[in-house]
Amino acid sequence: MFETHGRASRIGLQLLATLMILPFLAPLVFGLQGSFGGLGLGNYAKVWDTGVVPTVFINSAIIAVCTIAIVYVITMTAAYGFSKLRIFGREVWFWALLVALTVPEAVILTPLFVMASNFDLYDELVAVILPLAALQVPFTILIARNFFDGIPNQIIEAARVDGANVAQVFWMVVLPLTRPIAAAIIVFTLIGSWNSYLLPMLMLTDRSKQVVTLLPSYFTSQYTNDQTGVLAAAVMTAVPVIIVYLAFQKSFERGISAGALK
Amino acid sequence: MRPVSTAPARETLGRPVDSTGRPGSSSSPLGSRFAGVPWILPAVVLVIGLIYFPIGFLGYTSTLDWNGFILSTPEPIGDANYEEMLGDPVFWGALQHTVVFYVITFSVQTLVGFTFAALMHSRILLSNVYKAIVFIPVVLAPATMAPVFRQTFDQFGPFNGLLNAIGLGDLTRPWLADPTTAMPVVMFITVWQWTGLTFILYYAAMSQLNPEILEAARVDGASSFRVLRSIVWPLCRGTTAVLAVLGLIGALKTFDIPYLVTRGGPNHATEFLGTLVYFTMAQEKHFGYAATLAMALLVLAVTGGVLLRMSTRRSEDG
Repeated sequence: MFETHGRASRIGLQLLATLMILPFLAPLVFGLQGSFGGLGLGNYAKVWDTGVVPTVFINSAIIAVCTIAIVYVITMTAAYGFSKLRIFGREVWFWALLVALTVPEAVILTPLFVMASNFDLYDELVAVILPLAALQVPFTILIARNFFDGIPNQIIEAARVDGANVAQVFWMVVLPLTRPIAAAIIVFTLIGSWNSYLLPMLMLTDRSKQVVTLLPSYFTSQYTNDQTGVLAAAVMTAVPVIIVYLAFQKSFERGISAGALK
Repeated sequence: MRPVSTAPARETLGRPVDSTGRPGSSSSPLGSRFAGVPWILPAVVLVIGLIYFPIGFLGYTSTLDWNGFILSTPEPIGDANYEEMLGDPVFWGALQHTVVFYVITFSVQTLVGFTFAALMHSRILLSNVYKAIVFIPVVLAPATMAPVFRQTFDQFGPFNGLLNAIGLGDLTRPWLADPTTAMPVVMFITVWQWTGLTFILYYAAMSQLNPEILEAARVDGASSFRVLRSIVWPLCRGTTAVLAVLGLIGALKTFDIPYLVTRGGPNHATEFLGTLVYFTMAQEKHFGYAATLAMALLVLAVTGGVLLRMSTRRSEDG
C-alpha cells in the first residue's frame, strides 16, 4: 500500500511497523519474564504439582471438540435450510436467531445456572458445552448463510433434475463447496470455547471438571496471591494455543476473513 | 444483520458467486412450504431453549425480590426493581463507561488495525512475524492474560519500571488502583486483544482491491497517504461497518477483562453492565435486581445492534 522509493522511506516504514508491534509484544514478554521470577522453572513445577494440569487440558479439549461438533452440524444444516429451502416465515426465524447474537453471556447466566441445577447437570461438562454452542450458533449461522447464499441455485437445480433429493443435494453438492466457511466456524468456535471462562467458572466447581482458563486461579485466593505461580500457569495455558495458531496460521486467517467478508 | 463488504470483496477466495451478484435472493428453489423446517429445527430448539427461555425467566425474575436459593420464597414486587435501577448511579455509570469504552476502543482499533494492514501490504521485512505478534492476542484467553496485565500495571510492575527507565518516573502510579487510570488500562487491554482481528479483516479486504485503481492514482501523482485516505479507506467501508457492529456488541458484552483485571473497581470506575449483573447476582445474591439489569442490557444490545445495522446499511447503499 505504501510506495517505497529508496532506502530511507523503506527503513522508515520498517521502523513504524516495529514501533506498532511493540505494545503487542510487550505484555507477552512481561508475562514470560514474570513467570520465571523467584523460583525460575520451579514456578512451572509448582503449577504441575497441583496435579490438575492434564485434567484441565483434557476437559478443555473435550469441551472444544464437542462444542465445535454441535455448532458445525447445527450451523450447516440451518444455513442450508435458510439459504436454499422453503420455510414458512423464514425471515422471522432468521431474525429470531440474529437477536440472540446480541445476548451477552453474563445476562443469561443466572437462569442457565438455575436450569443446570434443576436438571442436575451442575458440575457436568455438558452444562458448559450446550450454552457455549447456543451462544455461538447465531453468529456462525449468520456467516454461513451469507456463504450459502453465494452458492448458485443453478447447481442445486441441476442436481435436482438428476434426481437427487434435498438431503442428497446437501450432502453431495453443497457440503463439498463449504470448506472455507467450515474453517471459519471451527476457528471461531475453537477460540470461543477454549477461552471461555465465565460459564466454566460458574458451572464447574469440582476439581476434576475444571478447564484451562481456571488454572491461574489456583494461585489466587482471598488470602494468598502467588504472582509467579499465576503467571507460570498463564504461560502454560497460553503456549499450546499459540503453537496451534502458528501451526495453522493460514487457515486461521483465511477462516476469519471468509467469515466476515462476503 | 449481515456482514457486508465492499464490492471487490465479492469475488473472493475462489468461492462461487451468484450470477446476479446479489446473494440472499428471496426465491427458494427447493421443496414445499415447510421443506426447510427440519433443517433449521435443531438451531431453533437450541437457541430457544438456552437463550430465549432464560430471557423469559429473567423477565419473570426481574419482578421478584429473590435471593436465588431454590428453597427461599420469592416475593413479587412488580416494577420496584426497575425503579431502583433508574435511580441507581452505578447503573448509569456502567452505561456511560460502555459508551466511552466503545467509542475509544473502536476508534483506536480501527486506526491501528487499518494502518498496520496497509503496512503489511507494503514491503516490510519479517512481515509474517509482525502479523503473528499482532494476531496472537486474539487467540489468547482474557482469563489467561489477565494475571499478566495485573502484574504489568502493578505499582512495582514492569510498566512503572519502564517509565522509570525512560525518565518518566513522575508518571508512575498503581495504574489499576487509581480510578482515573483503571479504565484506560481496561481499554488498552481490549485494544491489545482485538486489534489483530481488525487488522486481519482490513488486510483481507485490501488484498481484494484492484491494483489498477491504485496504480492509476499513483500515476496521477497521489501520495501514499492520499491513496490510503481517498481510495483504500472508502473501499474498505464494508469491513469498517462489520467491525463497528461487532465492536458494539462486544462492548455491551464486555465482562472478562474488567472482571478479572479490576473487579469493576476501584469504586465502580470500570463497572460495565455485564460485571454489574454478575456481582449483583453472585455476591449480593440479589437475583431479582440482577435480572432487571440483565433485561436492560438485553434491550440495549438488541436496539443497538439493530440501529447500527440499519445506519451502516444506509451508508452502504448511499
